[in-house]
Parts: sequence; C-alpha cells; structure tokens
Amino acid sequence: MSGDEPARAGPSPGRAAGEWGRADRSGAPPENWEAPRERWLSTAVRPAFGPRSVLLEVAARLLTPAILVFSVFLLVSGHDRPGGGFAGGLVASMAYVLRYIAGGRRELAAGIPMRPNGLLALGMLLVCGTAAAPLLAGHPMLEVYSYTAHHLPLFGEVKFASYLLFESGVFLIVVGLVLSVVAALGARMEAEEEEIRGRRRSGGAGAAKGERP
Amino acid sequence: MNTLLAVPVLVPLLGAAASLLMRRAPRLQQGVAVAALTAVVVDTVLLLRVTADGSVITSQAGAWEAPLGVTVVADPLSSLMLAVSAVVLLVVQLFAIGQDIAGLSRAMPQVFHPIYLVLTAGVCLCFLAGDLFNLFVGFEIMLTASYALITQAPTRARVRASMIYTVVSLTSSILFLTGIALIYGLTGTVNLADIAVKLGGAPEELRMVLALLFLVVFGIKAALVPMHFWLPDSYPVAITRISAIFAALLTKVAVYAIIRSQTLLFGRDDISAVLLCVAIATMLVGIFGALVQDDINRLMSFALVSHIGFMIFGLGLNSVAGLAAVVVYLVHHIVVQANLFLVNGLIRQYAGHSSLRAMRGLNTVSPVMSFYFFIPAMSLAGLPPLSGFVAKAALFQAGVGVGGWLVYTALAAGVATSLLTVMAVFRIWVRGFWGTPMPDMVEARERLKRGSHLAGLRFMAAMTGVMVAIGLVVAGAAGPLSEIAFIAGHDLMNGTAYIEAVLGEGAAR
Repeated sequence: MSGDEPARAGPSPGRAAGEWGRADRSGAPPENWEAPRERWLSTAVRPAFGPRSVLLEVAARLLTPAILVFSVFLLVSGHDRPGGGFAGGLVASMAYVLRYIAGGRRELAAGIPMRPNGLLALGMLLVCGTAAAPLLAGHPMLEVYSYTAHHLPLFGEVKFASYLLFESGVFLIVVGLVLSVVAALGARMEAEEEEIRGRRRSGGAGAAKGERP
Repeated sequence: MNTLLAVPVLVPLLGAAASLLMRRAPRLQQGVAVAALTAVVVDTVLLLRVTADGSVITSQAGAWEAPLGVTVVADPLSSLMLAVSAVVLLVVQLFAIGQDIAGLSRAMPQVFHPIYLVLTAGVCLCFLAGDLFNLFVGFEIMLTASYALITQAPTRARVRASMIYTVVSLTSSILFLTGIALIYGLTGTVNLADIAVKLGGAPEELRMVLALLFLVVFGIKAALVPMHFWLPDSYPVAITRISAIFAALLTKVAVYAIIRSQTLLFGRDDISAVLLCVAIATMLVGIFGALVQDDINRLMSFALVSHIGFMIFGLGLNSVAGLAAVVVYLVHHIVVQANLFLVNGLIRQYAGHSSLRAMRGLNTVSPVMSFYFFIPAMSLAGLPPLSGFVAKAALFQAGVGVGGWLVYTALAAGVATSLLTVMAVFRIWVRGFWGTPMPDMVEARERLKRGSHLAGLRFMAAMTGVMVAIGLVVAGAAGPLSEIAFIAGHDLMNGTAYIEAVLGEGAAR
C-alpha cells in the first residue's frame, strides 16, 4: 500500500493544472475559495474492476454514511440486544468495501481514517486494556462495570457499560481485518497489475522483469 | 491470583498491539516483544511456584461463576507447561532477533513479532483454558497465528506447505467444534470440570465415542499415526525460528489437550488399549520414516512424530507413574526439539541447505555447533545422563509397573524406537559432521566471519547454547521436576482437586 497516496478530490497542486484550472475559466470560484476537501467519491476514479457504473457510484455515495451510522447503532445497542462490536464492525467494513468496489483502491485509501494495521493495533489495545483494567483493582479480568443514568435530558435512561469500550475494540479489529483483506487480495493485486501494465507500455525489458515468478 | 492467571494471555496480546504500532522502529519493536515475553516468563514461573504443591488456582473471567462463565485454571501440569513454553518462546525469539540483526533472514521482522506474540497468547490460553470452548479459542488463536507464520519469507515450497497445514488444521478444528456441540448437547455445559461431573452419568458407549472423537481431533494436531502425514510436509519447510517453535510447542499443546481430555473428561481405563496401539504405531512409523530422510529438518520432523508416541504410551498406561513420566517427557521434549531445530538453523547458515547428501565436515567448520548438536541429539535418543534418559527411564519404569502383554509390546517398541533414534541421529552425525568439510562450507564460514554478520551470528549461537544449557538444567533438576510431575500425575488421575477448585467444595460427588 506504500504507493497509495490518498487521491484527494480537493484542489491539490497536481490537479490545479487540470480540471480546476478549466473550471476557473468557466466562472468557477477563485483558487482561495474554501472548497470542500473531502468527497465521498471523486469524479476522476477508476473502479477496481469492470467499467465505471454511475449507478453504483451514486449508490455508494448515498449509502456509505447511512451504513456507518447503522454500524455505530449496532455497536452501541449490542450490550443487551442483537448487535455488538463484531456485527457493527462487519457492517462498517462493508461500507468501505462498497467504496472500494465503486472507486478502486485510491478511493479506499482516501476514505479510511488510518491504515488497517493501525486500526488492528488500536482495537487490540482497547480490547486487552479493557480486559486487563479490572485486574488493577484486584478483580478478575473482563469484569464489566456499568453505570445507569436515569434522567439524562433528551435520552432518558441510558446505561453506560465498560463493555462498550471492549466492543469498540472488537469493532476496530474487525474493520482493520476486513480492510487488510481488501488491501491484500484486492488493492495490492490491482496495484501490481497496474505496475505491470505500465512497464509493458514503457518497454519490453521492464515487462519481462515484472513477470518474474 | 487473578493477575497471575491473566498475564500470560493479556500481556502478549498487548505486546502484539504495541509492536504492530511500532513497525517503523525495529529496535523498539524488538524491545517491546522481548519485554512482553519476559513478563510472561516471570509470571509463569511465579505461577509454577504457587501450584507446585498440587494446589489448583482459578479465575472466573468477568466474575461470572464457574459453569456459566469463562474459567481460567492453572494446576501443576498447566503451569509447568506454561513455564517451559514461555522460556522456550523467549529463547527462540532472541535467536530470531539475533538472526535479524545479522541480516541472515528473509523474514519480515515487523510482521514476525506481532504474530509471534499472538501465537504466545494462544499457546498460553490453551494451557490455561478451563472450558472446552475456550480451549478451542486458544487453539484457533494459536493456529491462525501459525498460518501466518508458516509463510514468512514465502517460497513456492512454503506456500504449498502452508496449504496442507491450513487445510488439515481447519479439518481438525471443524471436528473439534462438532465435538464441543455433541458434548454440549449431552451435558448442557462446556466447562471442563462441569463436563467431568456430568459425563459420569452418561451412557458408557456415548462416552467412548466422544473420547475417540476428541482423540482424533487432538490426534490430528499432535500428529499421531495415522494422522501424521501433514507434519513432515509442513514443519520443516518453514524458516528456522518458526519450525523450531512449531515442533517444540504446537504438537505439545495438542498432547496436553489429549491428556487433559482423556483424564479429566472421559472414562479412566476404557480407552487405554486404543492409546497403547496408537502409541506403538506412532513410535515405529515415525522413526522408520526418520531413518530414510535426507533432509535434516525432515528427519527431525519424523523423529518428532515418533516421540509423540512415547507421550501417548505414558498416557495409555493409565497410572500416576505413567502420567508423571509423560509430564517429564513433555518438558524434556519441548526443550530438546526446539534446540535441535535451532541448531539446524545454524547449520543452514553454513551449508545453505539442510540436505545430508551435500553436507560434510561440519565438525571442522564449527566445533561449537557440533557440540550444540551432539548434546540434544543424544538427549533425544535417551542416553544417560541427559534429560531424555530421565524421561524414558521414568516412562519404562512406569510401564513395567503396570504390566500386561500390550504394555510390554509397547515397551519393546519404545526401546526399539530409542535405538533407532540413536541410529537416525548418528546418520546425521556421520554424514554431516565427519569428514573433510566441503569447500563451499569453508567459504561460507570465511564469508560469515569477515562480514557484518558476525555479532548476530554469535548471538544466535549463544541462544542455541542457552537452549542446550536449559536442556542440561532439565536433566539436573530431574528430582524436583519429577516431584512436580508426580503431583501433577496424581491430580490428573484423581481429578477431584481440579473439579473442586473450579466448581467449589463437594462438587466432585
């Protein structure tokens, strides 16, 4: 993934000469205008495979926030209802998989908050930290502390459990794991394929080297 | 108590997470990994001190009481296994770090350390698990980590080996899960102690079927003949550090699971004959396989299979002395097997391969290395005064104490296997270590001496030496070791202490 610099759709120096320059002449806002830096899907993307599908791209744009919110709902409600960190994590990672299918690896890289390794490590720290914390007080590991707030404005009765931290860790681990799988099985191969194609275009010597087993 | 029981699982996992974050700083990562494993070693030694007198300590995770929650249990057997495993894991890790410093390995250290720590957590969880499902989880953590480790520095052969390994392990995991479901269906619990109590009232045939199912499940992982084919095809191809730790620990974890399940859960003597027959087959098939191998690592893997047979033999004796001998044997074999694979790693540095056909004169190339090979090899063969002799003597003595034609047959097979092990080891010795060294080996030695590898190489050799020393300590401490082993054997045969520690006084009828 080392070559995957997030391709931002905003006014990056590389793009200023291209579409943004053209946009200027057609009466678009000036350079110093505070343009949105992040977009759900940039318009200049190549999907992971197959031809571009506008339907899929629009659907991905519309669905991704909803999916992410739903995943957090599953995470929070999982304490005593169906859901939890694992289910929530799977749902959240599906949002990113959808983004990858619609926009390819650069879009995926632009969309994820941090590298999959970091997510895995952070999740594992949360999980093990929550499991180990009761030991400091001399209690058995994984003990759950909960606090019920009875009169919270707007929400009413809300139960906070230390279990939620544990589940958040599981959530992060699952997202990190799915993203690593996507990176290893999809994005990496895509990058290699692109590299080989580039070599072939530039000359035969490079292509022969690229197909080394 | 709670902390002592939690550290072996939680600290390696925390270490894995931390070292995953430190991919960019290899020195820091090594430090974190070593610190985590050192903490585990200290903790398990303390655990051994607490349980050495036969007491069983438990911790109920999440404060859910025993049959419902996840119970973590340490009895003399499990804490002894934990301590030995932790020490071996630490030494092999230091060996690996030496190799990385020397730049003699194509493995990726930033990937190796986190996964290695996860493997450690899995191994520890297997030894500590107080319920069947947690044992399964421990196995899965361990195996998942090992799937990743076996393809470190990938080559065509390693990927092929990992396919075999993964498919076989998954098959056994599915059977394991099926077994857990059947047990749960029968008893309504997965807690080991609770199952032990409730299975007592189950029909005899049903217990026998379940016992056999679990023997198959763990037998696949322990590479008992006829379920051993995968092992010599997968372990030897991995890089040194990995095959050392796989050979030393993974099969022993399965043997531990066999011991635990067959003594605590199922009938006491109805399966002895099966175990003895399996033991005879495993010993003989393994060692005959070893005799015809050309590759040192493959030879050692077959020898590993054959020596698993000794442990099953001790279990099949179904006596306190037999189980005590198995415990001693487990400790001895973990150390010696790791040691031999580390030496093979050193040999590979000089020879560039591990094929006996193209190897000569290692004695002249590196006298220290041949010493490091000779001691554990003789120990494996069971020559006095090394630890192998102590373990085998205890085993045969226990066998004579039990008697019966099947036991005597197994004894004869055991003696024959020991002699054949001597032969197999001498084959390596005569072919690889004697004679005028091959020119390319001398060249390799000169290159290693002159290059920047020297410090790392010396560190690797030093760690191999430490492993040899640990093997000698096992032999020297045979007295206290067999004391603990007898206590453990007594606990295993009896089962009351374990059940009462988990479920409370009077639970064991």
